[in-house]
Amino acid sequence: MELTYNEKRLLAVLKPLKDAETAKQQALAPINSTVNDIIELRNSGMNPLRDVLKVLEDTKNIAINPIRKALILFEEAAEDALGPISHMDRPGVSYLARIMDTPEEAVVQYAGLLQTRGLCELHKKVTVSYNLTEEGKKYAESGLPERVLFESFESSIPIKDLQAHPQAKLGIGWLRKKGWIEIKDGVVEKVSHAPVGDDETALKNPEVKSAGTEELLKRKLIEERETTEFWVEITTEGEMLVETGLDLRMEVKTLTSEQIRSGEWTGLKLRKYNVKTPPKRIFAGKKHPYQNLIDEMREILISMGFTEMYGGIIQSSFWNFDALFQPQDHPAREMQDTFFLDMTEELPENFEAVRDIHEFGGSTSSTGWGGKWKEDKAKQCVLRTHTTSLSIQYLKDHPDEALKVFCIGRVYRREAIDPTHTPEFEQLEGIVMDSDVSFRHLMGFLKEFYHRMGFENVRFRPAYFPYTEPSVEPEVYVEGLGWVELGGAGIFREEVTAPWGVKYPVLAWGLGVSRVAMLKMGLKDLRQLYKSDVDWVRETPLYRSEED
Amino acid sequence: MAIITLPYKYLELLTGVPKEILIERLPMIAADIERYEDDHFDVEFFPDRPDMFSTEGVSRAMRGFLGIETGLCEYFVEDSGISFSVDDKLKNIRPVLGSAVIRGLKFTEESIQSLMGLQEALHWAVGRGRGKVAIGVHDIDKVKPPFSYIASERSRKFIPLDFDCKMTMDEILTEHPKGRDYAHLVSEFERFPLIVDAEDNVLSFPPIINGELTKVTTDTKNILLDCTGTDEKAVMVAVNIICTALAEAGGIIQSVEVNGTAMPSLKPSERTVSVSECNRLLGFDLSPREMAEMLERMRFGAEPDGDDKLSVQIPCYRADIMHDWDVFEDVAIAYGFDNLKAELPDTFTIGKAHPLQKNMSAVRSILSGLGFLEMMPFTLSNERVMYKLMQREVPDYVLPVLHPISEEQTVVRTDILPLMMETLKINQHRELPQRLFATGDVIHGKETFQKVSGVCMHTDADFSEIYAFFDAFMHELGIEYDVRESEDGAFIEGRRADVFVNDRLAGAFGEIHPQVILNFDMDQPICGFELDLRVLQTPEE
Repeated sequence: MELTYNEKRLLAVLKPLKDAETAKQQALAPINSTVNDIIELRNSGMNPLRDVLKVLEDTKNIAINPIRKALILFEEAAEDALGPISHMDRPGVSYLARIMDTPEEAVVQYAGLLQTRGLCELHKKVTVSYNLTEEGKKYAESGLPERVLFESFESSIPIKDLQAHPQAKLGIGWLRKKGWIEIKDGVVEKVSHAPVGDDETALKNPEVKSAGTEELLKRKLIEERETTEFWVEITTEGEMLVETGLDLRMEVKTLTSEQIRSGEWTGLKLRKYNVKTPPKRIFAGKKHPYQNLIDEMREILISMGFTEMYGGIIQSSFWNFDALFQPQDHPAREMQDTFFLDMTEELPENFEAVRDIHEFGGSTSSTGWGGKWKEDKAKQCVLRTHTTSLSIQYLKDHPDEALKVFCIGRVYRREAIDPTHTPEFEQLEGIVMDSDVSFRHLMGFLKEFYHRMGFENVRFRPAYFPYTEPSVEPEVYVEGLGWVELGGAGIFREEVTAPWGVKYPVLAWGLGVSRVAMLKMGLKDLRQLYKSDVDWVRETPLYRSEED
Repeated sequence: MAIITLPYKYLELLTGVPKEILIERLPMIAADIERYEDDHFDVEFFPDRPDMFSTEGVSRAMRGFLGIETGLCEYFVEDSGISFSVDDKLKNIRPVLGSAVIRGLKFTEESIQSLMGLQEALHWAVGRGRGKVAIGVHDIDKVKPPFSYIASERSRKFIPLDFDCKMTMDEILTEHPKGRDYAHLVSEFERFPLIVDAEDNVLSFPPIINGELTKVTTDTKNILLDCTGTDEKAVMVAVNIICTALAEAGGIIQSVEVNGTAMPSLKPSERTVSVSECNRLLGFDLSPREMAEMLERMRFGAEPDGDDKLSVQIPCYRADIMHDWDVFEDVAIAYGFDNLKAELPDTFTIGKAHPLQKNMSAVRSILSGLGFLEMMPFTLSNERVMYKLMQREVPDYVLPVLHPISEEQTVVRTDILPLMMETLKINQHRELPQRLFATGDVIHGKETFQKVSGVCMHTDADFSEIYAFFDAFMHELGIEYDVRESEDGAFIEGRRADVFVNDRLAGAFGEIHPQVILNFDMDQPICGFELDLRVLQTPEE
């Protein structure tokens, strides 16, 4: 990986420092050797200095002045490059921080990073120093309390009097501990001439570690302080890297309009991003994945020439059941299966034709269901159990023109919620009316529709629905599941179409859209569609490829 | 749905066809195979074919479908000399009786189970849970004809099936498991239906339970069938289906005189259908002869009658043939759905989306562009979520559902905003900010129309944010609107606005009231809007 700007800057500083150091060592080498020679000559008895230098100039051909001159020139050059040089011996972090105008910690960090690449070495030296505490400072001035006490009386003093001394509290204990006094019968007597101890010596010069330092630490008169000193040294590899050249332009994070306008951008070095670092996620506002699938189906049907219809979710039993030739005692019409509402709706004009169909077949070849057809039962409102209730009303309004109509809408069944059942779900419904359309055309529409939905293999099986005859169940082949029943279809019975003067046969099919959703989206639980997890909606891509 | 158990051995015996072929072909005459077991398989038949609810019935159909034995099955009925009287007092209770005697049966445990299975399936599909028809079979050798179907005192005692002590009919309704299941069918009547023999022995308490006396066992050779009910047609369908199934099993059918009329006849009914109408409906080109052959494979009798007509004899057990097209469907099934060639008609039509769907598509597109994510909550909700938690009054146009299935789903939604609150509640631990919307049907009284609601939840959600979004949304819809201070309890006072379009209240927006946020067990600031989409003035279809 490429070096950061700051790492490069540090290397660029270290290199000339190293060069300077090397130059200094080279420059100093003859001087050092000369000094050694002088010392040698003097040891052998030559004196004064002038004679010595004369010998040196004669024998070694060394000119002192040029050496001094070279040294001055180097120092000037180094100062030109790096600013005033205080300690040339090794580049400390504080010095580097000052040159780079950056905090010391940052320099340590950059150096650490460079060290891991073998471009420099970061050295560390820990030094311990000692400082007087507040108490220590007091005693450094006045002397230790035992010393003060010791000098406050002659050879003996009654203990009571000594206890009155301000330093008595600490001092008496130390007097006894050091063996300077003895106490007998309430009288204190000096038994030693109290030599100056290591502790007292150390207290005079606390910064330097001595024999008394430990004692002073124990008495909390001084405290220890650790200071860590870092210095950095460029490695040969680092030097080679600098010699190959470093781009030291300042890196810029954001490009401003001002920079673009002024042309400043041409000289800018824009910070490069690591393309492997993933971005922070942001989420698109979008359609629900299920709505997306519904819209795909709508587009398919519209492209096949179907007109979309729409209708209310509250329907009378007449339109939901009776007009579709569902007998009034059909189990689907019981309250266990259907949501009934406390509401009725007047029967439409010509309801008698439907009544006759139920009772005896009306004008058709049908026998009807027999029994008495009850108006009250037909008036009761329900939440539509299928969108077929809309289809039949559409046919009533358009009885004699060729038409292709569809609708995708929510329907209601009185079912408890579990992973595969919900009391409301979407149903797709399509009808085709045309002169001479036949059962084979119905299969044609079903095949075409399912193919466009991406189901290659479609087959048909006989089925039963109260309002179609013949009836058929299309099945599609799904990898891993086998043949899956996907909807129902048929030709509307004459009992359904005759009351409204519908002129031609009507092909009809219905399909549970949520079942398709489960197949297409791999859902295990229908509830995910209606009680969606925001994360799931966010994660599900809007676009699905055709192969899905 | 009726699930019928078909034992492989018995079915193979009756059809003479190995089970593999039966399993493969059965689905093509309208059946779903539910599961395979070691010695039998379970098949679901459609409710319009109760004649298939027994192994015998399935075998009869399959022999024809596979071309082993085609044409009408003729059933002969002897006279049993037995009579059955029906009490006039049953007229308003359970007036219809159908009966027959079947002799020469050899029962095994398996065939008794099969008969009980048929009985139960008929109770469901034809009998509508025994109300319309209830069936009883009895060992006729345990009792003495003639028989009487009477309206009895409720205190009458007898030993019900599977019990060992006498009980009154009232006790049976409360203590016998079948009594409890079906009590609702008779409990309103002063007298109960009862079938007794010449010596006043009880055969049955229809539609509840038979007597223990006439229980059918493997020793039973001859049986008496009783079908009682409220609908004559349905009762006779049940009689015909059971008689013909037992005839297939080798029984001899004998008629019974019910109030002077001999039954059953088991004679086919006649229907003349048009060959060209059939061809037109199915898209076929069959000759009358070919069509007749198809029908014979479906066990009809069929004879061409002139160029276009076919005289069809419909077996007495085919309760589903109500209309000529029912006959045509059987032609298609015999032909084989898998042999039909699918094709598309030539008529040209131009498709178009419904204006209301276009409106909602536009709403989705605008709100998606504004960064909102779509949700699709249920339309069923409850008054607690819709109003109480929202600090709103219950409006008079709310529509409660009768017999709701749970407390969660008692009304159809009148607004969408409360459901957005519920959606946020489920998702409150997902990454914020969340900006969600939903659009779709709501109802006010009988009227269905559309609304849209959007919500924002995050630490800085406030009135200004929702006002800005709402304003942008309305701008994209091209609707001019007016705002006024709102009184809506769902929002914070001074941070809420009612929306007016053409001086009509059309929605509201604002910062959700902290108490409402707490009511939904949340604790983040939320702002939201709701709009009645009738402002989009869709031309009526």
